[in-house]
Amino acid sequence: MRKSFLLARSNLRKSKGQTTALIVLILFAALMLNLWLMLSMDYKQNFDRYHDKLNAEHVTFAIDGDNSKIQEFLIQTLEADKRTSEFSLDSSMHMVGLFLYNGGEVNSELIILEKQTALSRLVGKIEIVEEDSQFTSGIYMPILYKSDDIAIGKTVQISIGSNKVSYTVCGFFNSIMAGSHNCAMCELILTEDKYNELQTAGYAPKSTLCSIRLKDKAESESYEAMLKNTLSAEYPSARTVSNSYALVSQSRYISQMVCSSVVSAMAFLVLLIALVVISSNIINYIQENMKNLGTLKAIGYTSRQLVCSLLLQFLGLLLTVSIVGIGISYCLFPFINTMMISQTGIPYTVHFLPVPLFITLIILGGTITLIVWLSSRRIKKLEPIVALRQGVQTHNFKRNYILLEKTKAPLHLALALKTTFSGIKHNVTVCITMLVLSLVVVFSGLMTKNMIIDITPFLNLIVGEIADNCININAEIEEDFLQEMNLDKQVEKIYLYHSTEVRHIGGVGLIATICDDFSKVNNSNVVFEGRFPKYENEIAIAAKYAKEKDLEIGHEISITANGQEAKYIISGFTQISNNLGKDCLLTRAGYKRLGELQNISYYLNLTEGTDIDSFNTNVKERFGNEINVTININSTVSASASVYVSLMTIIVIAILILSAVVITFVLYLLVRTMLSNKKRDYGILKALGFTTKQLILQTALSFMPAIILSTIVGIVVCSFIINPLTALFLNNIGIVKCTFIIPVYFITVAGIGLILFSFIITCILSLKIKKITPKALLIGE
Amino acid sequence: MKKILLKTDHLSKSFSSGGALQHVLKNIDLELYEGDFTVIMGASGAGKSTLLYALSGMDTPSLGTITFGDKVISTLSQDGLAVFRREHCGFVFQQIYLIDGMSVMDNILSAGLLVSNDKKMLFSKAKELFAAVDISEETQNKFPTQISGGEAQRVGIVRALINKPEILFADEPTGALNSKTGLDVLNTLSKFNEQGQSVVMVTHDMRSARRGNRILYLKDGIILGECDLGKYRHKDMARHEKLSAFLSEMGW
Repeated sequence: MRKSFLLARSNLRKSKGQTTALIVLILFAALMLNLWLMLSMDYKQNFDRYHDKLNAEHVTFAIDGDNSKIQEFLIQTLEADKRTSEFSLDSSMHMVGLFLYNGGEVNSELIILEKQTALSRLVGKIEIVEEDSQFTSGIYMPILYKSDDIAIGKTVQISIGSNKVSYTVCGFFNSIMAGSHNCAMCELILTEDKYNELQTAGYAPKSTLCSIRLKDKAESESYEAMLKNTLSAEYPSARTVSNSYALVSQSRYISQMVCSSVVSAMAFLVLLIALVVISSNIINYIQENMKNLGTLKAIGYTSRQLVCSLLLQFLGLLLTVSIVGIGISYCLFPFINTMMISQTGIPYTVHFLPVPLFITLIILGGTITLIVWLSSRRIKKLEPIVALRQGVQTHNFKRNYILLEKTKAPLHLALALKTTFSGIKHNVTVCITMLVLSLVVVFSGLMTKNMIIDITPFLNLIVGEIADNCININAEIEEDFLQEMNLDKQVEKIYLYHSTEVRHIGGVGLIATICDDFSKVNNSNVVFEGRFPKYENEIAIAAKYAKEKDLEIGHEISITANGQEAKYIISGFTQISNNLGKDCLLTRAGYKRLGELQNISYYLNLTEGTDIDSFNTNVKERFGNEINVTININSTVSASASVYVSLMTIIVIAILILSAVVITFVLYLLVRTMLSNKKRDYGILKALGFTTKQLILQTALSFMPAIILSTIVGIVVCSFIINPLTALFLNNIGIVKCTFIIPVYFITVAGIGLILFSFIITCILSLKIKKITPKALLIGE
Repeated sequence: MKKILLKTDHLSKSFSSGGALQHVLKNIDLELYEGDFTVIMGASGAGKSTLLYALSGMDTPSLGTITFGDKVISTLSQDGLAVFRREHCGFVFQQIYLIDGMSVMDNILSAGLLVSNDKKMLFSKAKELFAAVDISEETQNKFPTQISGGEAQRVGIVRALINKPEILFADEPTGALNSKTGLDVLNTLSKFNEQGQSVVMVTHDMRSARRGNRILYLKDGIILGECDLGKYRHKDMARHEKLSAFLSEMGW
């Protein structure tokens, strides 16, 4: 062991440059692996920790009306179900509303609670995380919305239905199941005076908020469906809103999931490059040191000891560097945490996590041990006498590539190509690196085009249908409303686009989007297989859900709502992530088979330059209380989207920087090895009259065939697979098929940039050739 | 009157060794003439190779000037020296130094194409030189490690001559060869010299030195003496005795 240790130390000392490059690669791999494991293993568990801490519910259900009859019926229903563990019933107010946040609008089903009621809840507790006793009359907002505009002491204006109310912000609270617009409902807490004031104004109807803890949280979706079904059968006209543990635990962690997926992909890609580089290093080490290895074997070292020295060398390096990398991941985590909290809204305290650390070390240690063992097998076959006689054999003599007398290539290119063909192992390393980096370039291009520059394609995929404006009206005025809108020159297009809840019999609750004519929708990609429903007996359902339930196009399913039941034939598959893949589409005639719409949402495309807010104010003035709510969709979307855009911008910048670092170090290792192997050749060529510039050019050109070819192949292949690959990452949120626009121009330019960057870096790294002198060759330096 | 090819003026070269300055060449004034076979002799450490490297532009002098024709080469940059070497000089090394990854023919053409783009001319010139040094067609397509030492050194001579250099520099060209193959190499050098090729050779072997018409004896960094042996003739005993006497006089 001691002998192996001495050999390992000697090897490391001899190759300081290569060791440095490996350190950087392993450091990045360890850093990202640990980050990924922390994000995927602990970060999401934070939800459960807070869920337990606040004794939060597994199903939240709010139904309009707070009379004793409804409450009694609810209690009976809950108590009758053996899955119920405990529950809380409280009076609240419930209405669709919106407020300004992050430069846009938050639009949600608002559940308004009185402060003392909220704080005294046994199930679904509220935790006040920040308040100022100076402000005793006003509103408490979910901590997620704490921002420059929504701060203690400032005034927040909330549109409740068609009315606007203003409150002073007294503090912030944390609610696990209703503390974000991503929860299907958003709780707001008013001080007693303000609560009574709002109740008296009658802007929001009274409702009963019911929070239920289950014995088994896995039952949350089916329990929610049961509750909706039972209540809608008993009270068909009552407005309800609900969520489940399954939905909220996913929807509040979309950014965590995206970030974790990207980090894990990058971690494994960097690890792959590190392994290829280690393998190439070992093979090269054996070639360069064949005589030394032969000598060591001749004096009694066993193959095992020699392989052990290599293992010790790399594992020692790994252990030290990984600890540093993991340490850096802890330094970076607070910044990532800040980004994540802006989407999750759930505080997370960075703390030491031993399990991710051990798994990181095991993954790195295991893969590196395997690659060292596989790459150093040649040592075992090495016979001392053969090694001593043969010495270094770095060229393949089977074939003389690029015959100078026949080739039409210029001399330097021809000599570079000879080097290229004689160094297949180098080419493999270059190819794998460039293929990986091509994927990074294509992914960055895709995200830049479809998210950072113009978020519409991303929103089309995630949100589904997007228009400029949404107006929810009472059904009675539909005819007049449509007549006026059709006459309004500011209205380019208006179509029914209303979401409501239905239930798949034998399945779970689904959000049904009802449209009078799906040919009018802006985003026809919502249905990616089959077609939109056209007739009253047709339905399009979420592909993810269909897969779970083994449903195919043409199958017949039963849907229930409002106590009615009807059968529909599946006409197509949809993908909308809003409800994490639990959606369906129905025509208006189709929904009529289940009941009538009490209030109706219309989507509007307005002419260029129309001020949406002024337009809505005008509509409200014309129709008064018949307008339930107006939503400036552009503004609402920009509020939510900005979080994802900034997150993705950071990710893209980070992975591009990382790519530049990775390619620099991989090329450094390869150029270093090449210069070391070809030092004698360069000396000869210099003696013959080749200048330093010509040799640098030859060296850089020798890498170019592999770089250019693998970049082109990588970019072309990745352009084809990037959408399916992205869909794979987004599968959890209901995306089955991505239709992102491939930015051909961007990725072409980026690919050329990658090649030029590699060329320049190789030229810079080859500057060491300047130090090789013909005289040194002659005097045997 | 012979034409001067290369001229040195107060050529000195010093190295720093262990903190102490070592003067290897001291104020050397020398003229090399066209068509001569100049042999530089001397004991180990006399500065023979250092002088050869300086004359051939492989190294730069510490002091003094080296002039090739009317061009001062001692002030050229490394790249300038590389251009000078490729255009005017040919080299035959003791360790041969062919590039292992290239075939014999490509070793020659890689040097030739550096100066001329006329591939056809270079190819036929290479064939002519290979024939002159008795390298077969088959050997031309082999890799350097697949041929014998003698063949490799003759290939080295072909490479040195492919660009028709004004001066052929040879540093102990027979040092790594056995007596038979060494003799072949010397015969080849003599043959080309007879055809008008100027040669400057460093050696400490008397048998090799006999090939030169002008012998310079270097000792402690200065040219101690010079001997004119006249044109080389095979088995010329008088020539041998003259060289022996000169070397004895020099303290050989």
